[in-house]
Parts: sequence; C-alpha cells; structure tokens
Amino acid sequence: MNRTTGRRLTAVALTVVALATGTTACSSGGSSSAKGDDSGTYTLWDPYPQFAKDSAWAKLLDGCGSKAGVKVERTAFDTSDLTNKVLLAAQQDNSPDVLIVDNPVVSTLAEAGVLTTTDDNKLDTSKVDPNLLAAGQSGGKTYGTPIGANTLALYYNKEVLKAAGVDVASIKDWQSLTAALEKVKKAGKKGITFSAIGTEEGSFQFLPWFWGSGAKLTELDSAQGTSALSLWTDWLKKGYAPNSVINNTQTTSWQEFASGDYAFAENGTWQLANADKAGFDYGVLPIPASSGGNAAAPTGGEFVTVPVQGDTGRYATAQKLVTCLTSTENLYATDTTLSYVAPTSEVQDKQIAADAELKPWVEAVKAAKGRTSDDLGTKYPKISEQMWKAVQSALSGAQSPEDALGKAQSAVK
Amino acid sequence: MTTATTRRPRPRQARTAWWKTATGLVLTAVMLFPVYWMLNVSLTRDQDMRKSPPDLFPVHGTLEGYRKVLDEQLPYLGTSLVIGLGTVVLTVALAAPAGYALAHLRPRGGGVIGFLFLVAQMIPGIIMAMGFYAFYLSLGLLQSVPGLIVADSTLAVPFAVLIFTAFMSGIPEELLQAARTDGAGPLRTFWSIVLPMSRNAVVTVSLFAFLWSWSDFVFASTLANGGAHEPITLGIYHYIGNNNQEWNAIMATAVVASLPATVILVLAQRYVAAGVTAGAVKD
Amino acid sequence: MNHTTQLPDRRSARAGTGVATAAPPPAPARARRRPTSQQWAAWAFLAPVTLYLVLFYAYPLYRNIDLSLRHYTVRSFVQGDAPFTGLKNYETVFDDPTFAPALVHTVVFTAVCLVFQYVIGLALAVFFNQHFRLSATLRALFLVPWLLPLIVSASTWSWMLNSDSGIVNAALNAVGIGPVNWLTSPSWSLTSVIIANIWIGVPFNLVVLHSGLQSIPHSLYEAAALDGAGAWRRFWNITFPLLRPVSAITLLLGLVYTLKVFDIIWIMTKGGPADSSTTFATWSYRLGFGNLLPSFGPGAAVGNLLVVAALVFGLVYLRVQRKQYAS
Repeated sequence: MNRTTGRRLTAVALTVVALATGTTACSSGGSSSAKGDDSGTYTLWDPYPQFAKDSAWAKLLDGCGSKAGVKVERTAFDTSDLTNKVLLAAQQDNSPDVLIVDNPVVSTLAEAGVLTTTDDNKLDTSKVDPNLLAAGQSGGKTYGTPIGANTLALYYNKEVLKAAGVDVASIKDWQSLTAALEKVKKAGKKGITFSAIGTEEGSFQFLPWFWGSGAKLTELDSAQGTSALSLWTDWLKKGYAPNSVINNTQTTSWQEFASGDYAFAENGTWQLANADKAGFDYGVLPIPASSGGNAAAPTGGEFVTVPVQGDTGRYATAQKLVTCLTSTENLYATDTTLSYVAPTSEVQDKQIAADAELKPWVEAVKAAKGRTSDDLGTKYPKISEQMWKAVQSALSGAQSPEDALGKAQSAVK
Repeated sequence: MTTATTRRPRPRQARTAWWKTATGLVLTAVMLFPVYWMLNVSLTRDQDMRKSPPDLFPVHGTLEGYRKVLDEQLPYLGTSLVIGLGTVVLTVALAAPAGYALAHLRPRGGGVIGFLFLVAQMIPGIIMAMGFYAFYLSLGLLQSVPGLIVADSTLAVPFAVLIFTAFMSGIPEELLQAARTDGAGPLRTFWSIVLPMSRNAVVTVSLFAFLWSWSDFVFASTLANGGAHEPITLGIYHYIGNNNQEWNAIMATAVVASLPATVILVLAQRYVAAGVTAGAVKD
Repeated sequence: MNHTTQLPDRRSARAGTGVATAAPPPAPARARRRPTSQQWAAWAFLAPVTLYLVLFYAYPLYRNIDLSLRHYTVRSFVQGDAPFTGLKNYETVFDDPTFAPALVHTVVFTAVCLVFQYVIGLALAVFFNQHFRLSATLRALFLVPWLLPLIVSASTWSWMLNSDSGIVNAALNAVGIGPVNWLTSPSWSLTSVIIANIWIGVPFNLVVLHSGLQSIPHSLYEAAALDGAGAWRRFWNITFPLLRPVSAITLLLGLVYTLKVFDIIWIMTKGGPADSSTTFATWSYRLGFGNLLPSFGPGAAVGNLLVVAALVFGLVYLRVQRKQYAS
C-alpha cells in the first residue's frame, strides 16, 4: 500500500519536472516574453484588473490589434503594483509594447528612461487638453497621451442638507462650507468624509484644499498650506469629519457616504455609477477655494505610453495601436465604461450630450491640474510622501499642522 | 480517545466533559468571529457597508457578490488546486530525502544547510519574487503553472526539511541498523523503511505546503499575472479596481475559496495531530 | 557564519533542526567515525535540496545585498549601472528619523506577538489535548484563519476596528466605553496590528504545540497523579520541560515569521499614523515599493538588517541547543 503510494508520488514528481523542463524547452520567447520571435504579438499592460477577458475593454484591444494586423496580448495589474513591474521588466529588457499607467507615474518612468517621447513614437497629441497632457510632460518632452481623466469634487446628500436647512448655493468658500457642516452636525447627521490615508490617495485628496488655499507644492509649510491642513484638523476635532478618514481609502470613504448619514463626500468621477445606486438624491459641487471660487483639483486617470524597445521597428505598430485606442469613438466608449472624462473637447461634448450630469465633471477636469505639472516631475513623489505623512500626523493629533508641515518641508529640502 | 471512553461512565467526568465542550465552542466562536464577519460583509449591500453601528447579521442580505464569484471565479479555484497539489508533491520530494540525510546519515556540514534555510526564510517575499521574475524570464517560465509551483514551494521547503528531520530522527536507529545488516543500501532503507514510517510527517508537511501555496499572493501577482492560469488569490484582485473595490465580491471570493480548503483541513486533521507527534518529542 | 562551520559536525547536523536533538544521542563511537560511503549517500540525499537552496535562495539574497550596496535611482535600476557606494545606504538608514521608532516597534511587535501567540497557543493546546466531544473538530476549525489570503483577513480586521462603523467600537459602546481610535490614533495603532497578528499566529502555535503534547507519554501523568501532584504541578513538572524542544522550534519559527510580517500592518495602517506602527518590514517595503519613486537601496538595506537579526537569533538558538545537549 505504502509502496504504491510512494511510487505514484514519484511518478507525479517526475511528471512535474518533465512538465517544467518541457515548458522551458518550447516556450522560450513565447507567450511570457514581450520580445518573442513571434513579431505578430504585441503586449499591452494596463491597471484595469476589474475588466475581465470578455469585457468591452478586452474586445476593444483585440479589435485595435486586428486593425493593425497584430495580436494584442494584455496583462492587467493592480495599479499600486504596476510601477515596480514596469521597472523590473525594463531592467530585464522586457517592457511591454504599450503601457497604460497612472499619470503621476509617467514622469518617474520617463526619468528612468523607460518611455519613448512623442518625437520617437509619433503619437499625435494635438487634440488633447493641454492641462491634462501636462501630467505626461517633463523637461519639455511629452511621454504619452491620456486615455481619460477624472478629478475630485464634493458629492452631497440632498436629503441630509435639506433636513439640516443648508442651501447648497450658499457654499462658496471654506467658511461657508464649515458653517454648513456645523448645521449638519447640529441636525444630528454627519458632516463630511474624505480619504487621508498614508498613500498617494491621501495626497490626491488633500491637494484641492492645499491648492485652494493658494499654497504651492514647492513650499509645503507656507501659511496657506498650514491653513489647509488646519481646516481638515479642525473638522476632525469638532467632529464634522469622522476620525476614520485617517485610514480611509477613497472606497471606504465612499462607503461611509453611501450609508446616507453624511452630508458631503470628497470623491471622484468614477463613483458616479455607484452614486446612482446609493438610493438617495445626490448632487455634485466643485471643491471651493479658501476665499471663494473653485479650487484646482488634481487630475487623475491614466496615460497610454510606448515603452522603449530594443527593436525600434516595433514603435510603428505600437503607435497604430495607441492611435486606435485613443481615437474619438474608442475614447468615448472607454471613458464611458471607466466613468472618466475624455481628454479631448470633441469627446467631452459627446459625453455631455449623452449625459448632462457629466457637465460639472467636465468643467472640473478642465480646471484641474496635474500633480507632476509645474515641472515638478520626479520631485513630486518625494513631496507627496512628506505631504501625506504630515496630513496623517496632524489629523491623528501627533503634531500640530504647523509642525507637521514644517517637518515635511525640511525632509523634502 | 481511549481515556475519554473509559472514563465516560462516571457522572462527574461526563459533566466536566460537557462543560469543556461548551468552553471549546466559545473559544472557537471567539477565534472565528473575524471569519464570520467576513461572511457577513460578503452578504452586505454596498450602502450598508459602513453603517454605524454595523448590523450583526446581514439583514438586507444580497447574494450579488456570490453570483459574481460563481460566474467568474471557478476556473481560478481549479488552478489553485493544481498548484497547491503540485507544491505539495515537490516539497515532499525535495524535503523528505533531505530530512532522512540530516536525521540519520549525518553529513559533514549538514547543519549549515539547516541554518541556511532558516536565514533564507528571512529574505523578503517581494525580493524572492523579483529574483524569480528575472530567473523565469530567461527560462520562459513566467505565467506557467510549473513555475508558480516551484516558487510556492520555497515557502514550504525550509519548514518541511525541519519537520522531516525531526520526525525521522524519531525512527529508532536499531531498525535502520537491522536493515543495513540485511544488506539494504541507504536508498532501499529510505524507500522501504523510513518513508513508510514517516507517513504522518508526509501528511503534515503536505498540509502546510498546501495551505501556504493556497494563500500565496506575492508570487502569484509577480509571476502568474495575466497568464492563462491564475490562482484564486489573483482572482480576488479583479474586484480591486483602480479607484474602487467591490468588497462584497472580494469577501465572497474569500469565502468560496476557503470552503474546499476547509473540507481538506478537517479531513486531514486527524492525521496532522497524529502526524506532528511521532518524532517531535521522544520519551 | 564561521561560527556555525566551526561547530562539531555531528552536533551542528542535528542542532540546525532543533527538535531532532530531543532524540536519544547516538552511540558516540559510530558518530565519530563515519564511513565515507555513508557521507556520499548523505550528500546524495541532500543534493536536490542543496541545489534548490543555491538556485532559488542564493540569487535573491545576492540581489538584495547588491541592491543595498549601490546607489540606485530609477534610472540606474533600469540601466543596471548603479555606482557601488559601500555602506552608504546603511548610513542613510541609521540616520533616518524613522530608524529609532521602527526599531522599537519591531522589537515590541515581535516580542509581544511571540509571547502571546505562544502562551495562548499552549493554553489552547493543553485545553484541546483533553478529550471531550468535538475537541478534534473544533481544533481543526481553529486553522480556518490560515486559509484566508492575508489581504482578506487583514482587511476584515481593519473593518472590525474602524473607529466609526467597526463592530469592536460598537460593542465597547454597548458596555459604555467610549470609542477607541484603534487604527487612527498613534497610541493604539501598534496594539491593533499586534492583536490582529496574534490572531493569525495562534493556529500555528496551537497545531505544533498540540502535537508535541500528544507525544508525552500518558504514563508520566498517571504516575504524577498517584504521587498526588495537582494539575498545575503536573504542567510545570512534566508538560513544560518535556515540551521544551518543541517550544524552542515553535518560538524560533514564530520569530522568523513575525519579524517579516508586513502585509498585515501594511493593509491595516500602512505603518501609520505618523510612523506609529512602522516596523522594519513595513519600512523596507515603503522605501522600496510603497512610493511613486522607489528607493531600492535603502529599502534593501533595511531588509538585510532583518536578515542579520534572524541570523543572530539563529545563532543564539544553536547555542542554547548546544548547552542543552551538553548538559
């Protein structure tokens, strides 16, 4: 009995080894390698794991592939994982032919020498809104073209505001917003929820307030910057915002808003589909600047780029693929599925025509600003890390807003 | 087992046993509460996810998460199963002979091997994964099931060598001596005496190897992402979008993924208990 | 490293494997003079695993050391031409204001987790070692947390510990205790991740210790009971000493696993707020991978400090084993 089990065990073990060697033998340069001998296969990486193999997105890629006469092999990564994977692949000289990547990462990858410029890859970016394209520019060069954009605004719960006697039209600046929060709290509801987690998401959410105060990323500890952080800190202290924001991702924060208890939530374009499911009447409001007007919000969304290849002959086909993906009709389809705002006016108009609710978002995107813009490039990630740390320190009460931002500024230098 | 049956007739003992079962149930309930909570979340509607205070039971339960998972995730379960079993086979095949050598053949410098395994376990998983990535790329093993099996086995092999050595040193030297006198070489001795006597150790190691590979994520995401065969831990990532996560689907996947494994666990339990024992402590 | 190789061969061969030393020492004569053929056989059996060790562990380890000794930027990471800078990355790490808190948190996290996991694991093992109805099934159920991918179990914990909508605060509220900011207050975050990690580690301790208990001969307890020893005395005089080898290996493995825990902390708190739950493992990850602009060098340096820590504890363990063996 034992003997037979043992023998079977060896047999299986041998099979595994045989399989392993077999795969080595026949798949070298095959499916897993971007630069296979099979030049008819082009690889594409995207940060959309939510799109399955039979999704519209996957079909679109196949379609663009057959139009260019090649087979597109797609791999989806979790977005936080993608930067490392790209660097690693580039190090091994195995970059994908087309790479779709979160916009603040573009300048880092460009710095690493992973991406080709539009001079090399011949992408046409003339139709793209300049403020959106700026996120993909560094040192006067453009490294890709946006596939869609999103940004932040304030969602509000109409029922809660009505019960608290707040008129949305009265919210023009920080003071009136705080006054509204106070009223909401008095009415027994909860004020505002956002995400201040210790990652890029936290910086992304803090930026509209930071920029809205008139502060600049090159000087974190300015009086304006401190006023923005004090605004958040005071909301927490007074109970206008829940303590959990310190650990909230944007999804968690949305779930809080979806419970129907909160008056406001700072969140992005991508929640529109969920907002319709929430079961209450909601509205969208641009984030106010400190003393009136709208604050610039950061642009979110991904760029389509063409990584550097050993074989420069591949760029021509890669360019065809990217052009197909970012053609007017495909942009419209893709941005509708992603719940993004299109990067060109032409498609934006089409989106508004189809869904009037998108209008405030299109305006917000037009007013938005890239995080790596102002020629910050690879300085942005360092600044951003110190910024989210400072936000966390201040909100959790470990440090005062002044001290936290002062420390952050000296760490950036 | 025997003690329980022989003592059962005495009423006082029976009462204590009942009391113990109750305590055991309470302890298990406390331990498994987070698992229950996961189940609860998997059934919760989006708008109730952050209800304060939370509902103890999914009052407005939704099966949406499960519908999604059953539609999309079953192939991943199959892949995970294959990878888990492959890891088990590979781990045992590598570690059992090593355990025998370390326990009974006393090789010069064998201790260094054991020590190195200890240190090797400290290499951060992500660095291991990066190493494998570079390695597999040149071998063309990326996104392949055998590749993932080899990578996952690195989680279990050090532990397995340790456990096998422990068990096998429990086998009396006299028995092996006798085999040797009968003219059996080391291979025969290992095959016909040591391995059969270590059946429990094999089961124990298999169980751990299976569990580790079942829940591995780092290797899967680095080495198997985008391939034709992805394990269930990657399946979960399909519900984690760029800006949005579908928590009831994530939790539902976890529930569905743990069901077959739980069955295996409960079935294997009796072997495990008996298994780790044999060589661990010698009287 | 030298230290190990200098150990007497026979001893080191078994000491590396902890539990093995509990076996009766073999006859000294045979152990001293080993036939060469047996040496060949021994290495033939060890060959696959040695090859495996070299193939799959040596390269990543080499790579991690190399990363820590060069000045890597994203550019030089890709181009592979990073200049050699010696121990500069280590200096950077030592001078970093995060170093001291991270060290303290690592020590506290590891020590507290280890002690609680072991004590709770042992208590449960003793409890489940008594035979009562359902004891085997319940013990098996204790392993269920192991089946869950860490991303799920850690997320579930952060869900339960949420300040506003978490079940834990709801329960505390019900008994009249105000809300605790488990994950968002600098004074509680470390405690929270420790609790979650203990929960994850208890099953491992339970299984290994339980199997150790089972092999303690029942006759010893019966004899002690006849001598009138109470349950507590029996535990201290029989169970605990006889379990020592298993305890040692459990604690050592526990230490190795706990030192490198990062997923749980990363998912629950990201090491924050304000670094209040940052350990070396999460710090290393944050430096290398948790930022838009990775700094691989210092990240790898912190990772190597952990490897060194494991090395030191491994040596301590060998020492203790040797002493026990000698006595």
